[in-house]
Amino acid sequence: MASSAAAPEKDKSKVHKLSLKGSAKLVAEFFQYSIHTILFQRGVYPAEDFTAVKKYGLNMLVSSDDQVRAYIKKIMSQLDRWMVGGKISKLVIVITNKDTGEHVERWQFDVQIFKTASKSKPSKSSSTPKPTDQENASPSSSAAAPEKTEAEIQSEIAAIFRQITASVTFLPQLAGDCTFNVLVYADADSEVPVEWGDSDAKEIANGERVQLRGFSTANHRVDTLVSYRLAE
Amino acid sequence: MATATVSTPLRSHAGIFSTRTAGGRMPLTPSPRQRSIPVNLNSSPFTPDKSSHDSQRASSKSVYGGNLTAHLHRSSSKSHHRDSPKSNIARGVSTPRKALELGVSDFTLTGTGVYAKTPSSAKPKKGTLKQKSTKTTINYAADRFIPNRGASSAIAHVGSGKLDFQEKQRPKSGSSEASTFLASATDDAIAALESLSIEDEESTSYSRPSPNTVAYQDSLANACGVSLNTRILQFKPAPPESSKPIDLRQQYNRPLKPAAATAAQFRRRVATAPERVLDAPGLIDDYYLNLLDWSANNQVAIGLERNVYVWSADEGSVSCLLEASADTYVSSVKWSGDGAYVGVGLGTGEVQIWDVAEGVKIRSMFGHDTRVGVMGWNKHLLSTGARSGLVYNHDVRIAEHKVAELVSHTSEVCGLEWRSDGAQLATGGNDNLVSIWDARSLAVPKFTKTNHKAAVKALAWCPWNMNLLATGGGSYDRHIHFWNTTSGARVNSIDTGSQVTSLRWSPHYREIVSSSGFPDNSLSIWSYPTLVRNIEIPAHESRVLHSCLSPDGQMLATAAADESLKFWKVFEKKAGAGASMGGVGASGKAELSKQMTIR
Repeated sequence: MASSAAAPEKDKSKVHKLSLKGSAKLVAEFFQYSIHTILFQRGVYPAEDFTAVKKYGLNMLVSSDDQVRAYIKKIMSQLDRWMVGGKISKLVIVITNKDTGEHVERWQFDVQIFKTASKSKPSKSSSTPKPTDQENASPSSSAAAPEKTEAEIQSEIAAIFRQITASVTFLPQLAGDCTFNVLVYADADSEVPVEWGDSDAKEIANGERVQLRGFSTANHRVDTLVSYRLAE
Repeated sequence: MATATVSTPLRSHAGIFSTRTAGGRMPLTPSPRQRSIPVNLNSSPFTPDKSSHDSQRASSKSVYGGNLTAHLHRSSSKSHHRDSPKSNIARGVSTPRKALELGVSDFTLTGTGVYAKTPSSAKPKKGTLKQKSTKTTINYAADRFIPNRGASSAIAHVGSGKLDFQEKQRPKSGSSEASTFLASATDDAIAALESLSIEDEESTSYSRPSPNTVAYQDSLANACGVSLNTRILQFKPAPPESSKPIDLRQQYNRPLKPAAATAAQFRRRVATAPERVLDAPGLIDDYYLNLLDWSANNQVAIGLERNVYVWSADEGSVSCLLEASADTYVSSVKWSGDGAYVGVGLGTGEVQIWDVAEGVKIRSMFGHDTRVGVMGWNKHLLSTGARSGLVYNHDVRIAEHKVAELVSHTSEVCGLEWRSDGAQLATGGNDNLVSIWDARSLAVPKFTKTNHKAAVKALAWCPWNMNLLATGGGSYDRHIHFWNTTSGARVNSIDTGSQVTSLRWSPHYREIVSSSGFPDNSLSIWSYPTLVRNIEIPAHESRVLHSCLSPDGQMLATAAADESLKFWKVFEKKAGAGASMGGVGASGKAELSKQMTIR
């Protein structure tokens, strides 16, 4: 709906509107590449296991180890479902030291769903208030959100990955063998398959936190936050 | 509240930006962007509901204590700004509207968001100072309470923004005062405006709460029970193990082109299903025997109780070569290097040599008085190891066949392997010893290795490094050791986790395959020298007793206690892959591979 308000000014053909489903898919895909990128950047798996894939205008490194791929695929298949259902508020990747069992790094992706936008979209899409009506506009969070082009979203995502890559410069070196876990913060009413179980937040005690970039689509906003244990 | 103070920095960042446009954003000079604010601002004077708002704010959103104080400093006087946060909060409750209003305008004006991206502790201070200096000009009398954008956004981050928002509004509408209504309308309008401002700007204009704020909000939300609506779920299956230890330092400046052939994308696929399964009825389940061998002529000989069968891999035909007398059994079979003859060791200690093409016995050699469990050919020399621990070398061409007696083992010899050039001989026994002999001086072993803790049956010489010998120990030992046979040094070891019954090097890949007895009954392919287990194939239902490689080096035959003989394509040559490893004898065997077909 927001797009139609902005569309008259812009070139209509260039504005490609993402549906909620498409937006969820885009966010899920972003998660998938984030997991791969973090696994690579933080050395959870050997660098040789990764192959470069062109994505978001970047060379994304994706694991080509069958087991790792299968593992991530399994996570993603469920994540896709939750994303489309709008059940997820956070996705967290926790890196844990295998020997001590300590959580050493925690990558958190906060997902914000613009519920109003998604709800009102089908009904109101054509009858959006004209610019002059804005004073009386209802307080919808996306009332006048201009639609982003897909290219803009892609470049936002690319910026995040650049930041994740750059973050190795300030993150402490991970000592010893590390493994990782994926957590999601899901709504209480979501369906939970057997592979998923309740967990604690796996927060890092006395961790340092750094907020990274975020990106948004018409329906979602994703923020990135990394927390890590300060080296003693 | 220590955390409240932490939350100030970001807000004050916003203050920096607001200074730029603050003049234009004065309530009495509405800009097109803020149409709704000024109207409401002007129409709503101080109203009694203020306090109710305040208390709501203060009670539910103590996060903003810090903000309030920050703004309050400005409004009251500069002398106060060093006060402790707590004291400021208290004051903030009394005159919060101005403060909050300022907060909103600050927010809507965060045009560039540059600072928001770089959360740091140093900047906030600067921000607050600036704010103070510029904001003092604002006319507070005209201000009125406007919900702080930060409040709703923070909660939204926690995932329950709507819920909270409604809660806030309900009491207001309930009071049914005109001013209250206006106030709530203002709330709405502001909310709309806020969202406007978020979406209007470039993506970067969205001012993110600082990490610590988020953290605090999270914990606050938890404390308030907001998280009751969500549950934290973990993907329970353990992630796959890393194939090798990782040194991040190496990772950060690695070569552009990965040199290692162990990289996953280059890792070859190994068929985990057998190419062919044959029955081997009557195969004796005895670790110390060696009953399977594959000739250079592509024939497989197997000893089944008293019989030796020869299976032609080319034709798929089976023939019974011999049947021993009723009082004994076949304890070992070994093809000569040219594949024309097969040596057969018997339980009585007799060693027979058979011409396979003719199907006739050429000679019998006596000497051992205990069973001959292992044999090895070196051209015309046949070495035989017996239960007594003695190893004899027989020159099969001459009548006085016994040419050497190798004394080292004190218990049954079950492993024996000549190096391909015939210069060294390795033997392994039930006395847990590995003996390495120099062919020129057989009086004493060149080296005797005592590292294994169980019988050593599995012995294999590396095809590309003549000095490298692999030895595998029995069920108590479970290790594969790698030796430099020139220096006698142990160069590598693997703990396989199960009895090692045989070892075979690949002639084409830098790999070695081991067969296991209890408890795995599997085949494992290891990369050398990385010692990474490339694959483990659950091969048989019971322990794998013997294995041998096809003459082209691609196929492995295994015989197991489950009385089956299986063929595995473990070292399949890919087109062009052969060139990558100039394996010893690879070229010589190329011809053979052409004619080899297993049906």
